[in-house]
Amino acid sequence: MTRWGMVIDAARCVGCQACTVACKTENQSPLDAWYAPVIEWEEGEFPDATLNYLPVLCNHCEDAPCVTACPSGALKRRDDGIVIADEDVCIGSRACMTACPYGALHFFEDRGTVAVEGAPAEASPSVPERYAHQRHVRGAVSKCTYCSHKIDFGLENGLEVGVHPLATPACVVTCPAECRIFGDLDDPGSNVSRYLADHGGGEVLRPDAKTLPSTQYVGLP
Amino acid sequence: MTAVNPTAGGGAGPQNVFMDQFNLEARTQRVWDINHAIWFTLMGVGGGVFLAGRILNLTEGLGQVLGIPTVDVVSFLAIAVGGAILVADLGRPLQAWRAFVNVRTSWISWGAWSDLIFLVVAGLLVLPALSLGGSEPFSGLAWDPHGGDGGGLALEIVAGVAAVVVMTYAGAVLARPRAIPYWNSPAVPLQFLLSSAAMSVAVVMLIEVIAGEPVTAGQMVLLAVLTAALLVTMVVHLLTRTAEPGKQESLERLLRGQYRGLFAGFVVAAGTALPLVLAVVGAAASGARDAMAVLCFLLLVPGGFWLRLVTLRVGIFPPVHIPSVRGPRSTASTTGD
Repeated sequence: MTRWGMVIDAARCVGCQACTVACKTENQSPLDAWYAPVIEWEEGEFPDATLNYLPVLCNHCEDAPCVTACPSGALKRRDDGIVIADEDVCIGSRACMTACPYGALHFFEDRGTVAVEGAPAEASPSVPERYAHQRHVRGAVSKCTYCSHKIDFGLENGLEVGVHPLATPACVVTCPAECRIFGDLDDPGSNVSRYLADHGGGEVLRPDAKTLPSTQYVGLP
Repeated sequence: MTAVNPTAGGGAGPQNVFMDQFNLEARTQRVWDINHAIWFTLMGVGGGVFLAGRILNLTEGLGQVLGIPTVDVVSFLAIAVGGAILVADLGRPLQAWRAFVNVRTSWISWGAWSDLIFLVVAGLLVLPALSLGGSEPFSGLAWDPHGGDGGGLALEIVAGVAAVVVMTYAGAVLARPRAIPYWNSPAVPLQFLLSSAAMSVAVVMLIEVIAGEPVTAGQMVLLAVLTAALLVTMVVHLLTRTAEPGKQESLERLLRGQYRGLFAGFVVAAGTALPLVLAVVGAAASGARDAMAVLCFLLLVPGGFWLRLVTLRVGIFPPVHIPSVRGPRSTASTTGD
């Protein structure tokens, strides 16, 4: 059974935010909705000070509290472990947003100036099928999908997921420091499994939440 | 001294536009607020007034609206208005019917079903009593709207069970996920249930006073027991898991921060402890009972609303990651405000 997951080596991150922008471009997420940003914080005081970076995104939890809380069934966990939000089904209760420990869900509020009419960020039937993931519905919740459209494209076309750029999440492809690795967590020979094994296993964010994330970390500050 | 200084917008250091969504600070939830507090309160009162009216056998003698007992009308109105507020608050109100879909895991779906079942079954229950223009078009229906026969009793029981879920589910919605430690406690749904029950008894007593019917000592004792239990539940909730990240910040805001006055003054003192004292006085002194009943209503219903609003507003997500630092961390500005 495949379980797609991402390993982030936080020690490698240089804080360039290329992943943040690549994600925004790939998914055309609504204004104010950043699916995969890098957060940063200072530690210490001059001259013994450092700047730390932590790339974050949806953790695609095995026990996803957003899926549990969602009344409409808009949030689903696919068989391959990816948690997706069907914006056409979402009713905008935002129960998922209060249930997610990571703040990884984003409400597309109608603020009147969010997107230009007809632009991809609007729900529009004129957007071609291959850009369907760029359509967002006002009043609904959206989130990182691990670029599931790229993974599905790769699987349909015989490309190696996590390796071929067309079959790998945009944030992984664009990272200049190669701090993000994507692959099958259930395959002991996959790039993610090997990376985790080489580094003595991974850590997760908010372990107290017991959500069993598929996004794991090494080198956390 | 070594300290972690998240470079949040407005603070020292570079601005980070993402800090409001993903950050290393404890983050206050801003998803649900006053609309939800009103919704929670009205649902609690709606379910509770129906139950209180039936358990205290007060459906007859407290007046009627179109032939339907006043207590039931109050109950239906509260739930209908609460439901309307909920639907209006959705991002996509026209898709509200989908709230019924995920009964397998979602407490909101359970709530939606219980609201619907309650309104339909309780509505059916009282339908034979409906009077329009002097005629009773549904009087031929074969059950007693006051639950006096088998059919009426069966409908009353189904509506009563649905009413209990209506009173409780909002608390369960908050309590189930672990994301916000202050909410993640059985004390939250218990508080909501007890508060709903206390508010409802107070509403029923007010209807009694308006209808010129005597408030009994037993009702006052019941109110005293409910408010005492609510007080105990609050104290237990405040005293447990106090060192947990997230809950620590919630308690800080509740007991020493910006909600101290509201919580201590309007929720605990005026909204719970004082009604407890008044109910005890009312139980002992029959002459003062009507005045005590009115005062209890005036204190308990706003208190119940403030309890829900404060619970929502002190909902704080702990940091997604707590870095290993060599010295003490500053938490003074970690609540997102």
